[in-house]
Order: sequence, then C-alpha cells, then structure tokens
Amino acid sequence: MNWRRLNNVLHRDIGYLAVGLSIVYGVSGLAVNHKADWNPSYRVGKTIRQIEPMRATDREGMVREALGKLGIDQAPRNAFRPNPDTLQLFYREATYSIDLPSGAVVIEQARPRPVLFEVNQLHLNTPKRIWTLVADVYAIGLVVLAITGMFVLKGRTGITGRGAWLTAAGVLMPAVYWVFYLYGP
Amino acid sequence: MRRAMMVAAVLLVCGGVVLSAAVKKYGKPLTLKETTKISAIFAQPDSFNGKRVKVQGPIVDVCEMKGCWIAIASDKEFQSIRFKVDDGVIVFPMTAKGLTAKVEGVVTVSTLSEEEQIAQGKEMEKEMKKPFDPKTVKGPKTVIMIKGEAAEIE
Repeated sequence: MNWRRLNNVLHRDIGYLAVGLSIVYGVSGLAVNHKADWNPSYRVGKTIRQIEPMRATDREGMVREALGKLGIDQAPRNAFRPNPDTLQLFYREATYSIDLPSGAVVIEQARPRPVLFEVNQLHLNTPKRIWTLVADVYAIGLVVLAITGMFVLKGRTGITGRGAWLTAAGVLMPAVYWVFYLYGP
Repeated sequence: MRRAMMVAAVLLVCGGVVLSAAVKKYGKPLTLKETTKISAIFAQPDSFNGKRVKVQGPIVDVCEMKGCWIAIASDKEFQSIRFKVDDGVIVFPMTAKGLTAKVEGVVTVSTLSEEEQIAQGKEMEKEMKKPFDPKTVKGPKTVIMIKGEAAEIE
C-alpha cells in the first residue's frame, strides 16, 4: 500500500467514525454560540398564579397548606424560605415561589430541551471522566482528518493546485480575524 | 480486522455515554470527612475565611446560563450560601433544585462596595432575567461564598 492509499483509507474511515460526534459538536456549537440570546439546554418559562394569602407558621405546616391551595398532590423534593415572606417549593422541573402575604405564586419551569440538552452536555463535557478521553480522541481524529484531507486528491484540484489556495484561505481567515480583533476599531 | 476495530470504536463511544449517565459526582472527589454547618460559617465568617470546608444542604438555586454555581440552603432559615466553580469545571443541571448537595471548597469572605453590588446586580439581571433595582443597594455588603471543585448531588 503506497502512502496516498494509506492516507485515503485513514481519511475515509476516521471520517466515518467522526460523523456522529461531528453532528453532536456542530449542532451544539450552533446552539451554545448564541447562549446570550437563549438558553440552549433548557426551555425556561415563568407563570404567575394567585392563591389565598398565607400566614407564616412552621415550614411543614406551610408546605401542606400551600400544596392544598395550589391543588398539588405530589410532595416537593424540598422547601426553603429565603426570607420571612417567601416559601419556595422545589420539584424536578419547577420551582414555586410563594409570596405569603399576597398569595402571589411565581412558577419557574426549566425543562431540558430534547436532544439539544444531551448534545450540549456532551459538547461541554459535563460528564467528564471517560468522555474527556472520547473527546480527546475525537479532537485528534479531527487533526488527522484535516491533514489527510489535504492529500486525498492529486493534480489540479489537489494540494498543489486549487487545494493550496483554499487551504491558505482557511488558515488566513482566523489569523486575519485575530489581528483585526486585537488592533481593529 | 478492520470490522473489529470499528466495532471497538463504537463500543467505546457508547460505553462512555452509558457510564456518564449514571454519574452524580461532579468534579474532583470530596476529601474532607467533617461537615461544617453553613450557619456556623455565617456566624463567624472571618474565622472561616480561606479555610477549606465541606457543607451539605438542599440546592435552592442554580446558575441558569452556565451552571457554574448553586445556592445551598443553610441549616438555619433565611440563609443560603453560594458554591461557585470556575466556568466549565462543573456544569450543574437546573433540574438539581431541591436535591441535596455535598460540596467542598474554600470559604471566601469579601466586601462589595455599592458600585460593585450594582454592577453585579445588573449582571445577574441579565443572566437570570430577574429584575434588579439599584435602589435596593444600601451600603457595603459582606459576601460569603465557597469556591470549589468537588460536589456530590443526591
């Protein structure tokens, strides 16, 4: 097997292996790139309800009373009073903040976005541990893909022809941007 | 041979996903055996400043944008302490609210001027999308938090 055949086999097979992760990182990259404008992992919502005002008593009694007034059967994971006038009830995907004197209830919901939540967790390496190794191997795979990709074709469209110009453009683009970023207006 | 290599690679990727899904430990392992009451830290913040502690309590808030901090309720009412990690070191899920956290880190006590509080409040307003009124800031404020890199959530 000559070197170009080996190069092309490597490029092809690493490319196949990288398809899944490239989609994961690509989709998640788009999502988290705009996180200033939206929450890419959670669908966050807020609703307001009104119940009868409540008196501050012991916490367990207040939780029972609040659940009755809200018509909720399920016990919360936990309850907390951040201040004397507020009772918070925590559920997996919702937090109820009750203003005791007025009875105003703010319900904050945070539901993981299907698919996006999972791909963002992987992209941001939330699991750590073995995923760090997988992500490292993938990153090395991308470098190998980039290098072998330059030598897949020979001739006019290869790295000695059009490929040289396109490769140079691709290398210059981040370099020029960085200089502009540092010294530009 | 090539088929075997491909199967091994797929198994490696799938194994990683499965193993990761069961993890409830975040960051480095907890090392301290003794648990400090959060109320004790609030009672004598200066004596804990710079000390490494392990605390435990229900999670009552989570950083919405980056998952880079959680607030843990104290054993006393109306108290909670923020556990902050460097961005990306740990990403706490928003669905962790109400679960119990054990965290370990170094207590930091600092005093924020009015200007710093207003700047921080505006930042939080943007991050948490909760309204902030600068008029609520009255004088310097002592901020107690734990900066760490180890947590367990159950």
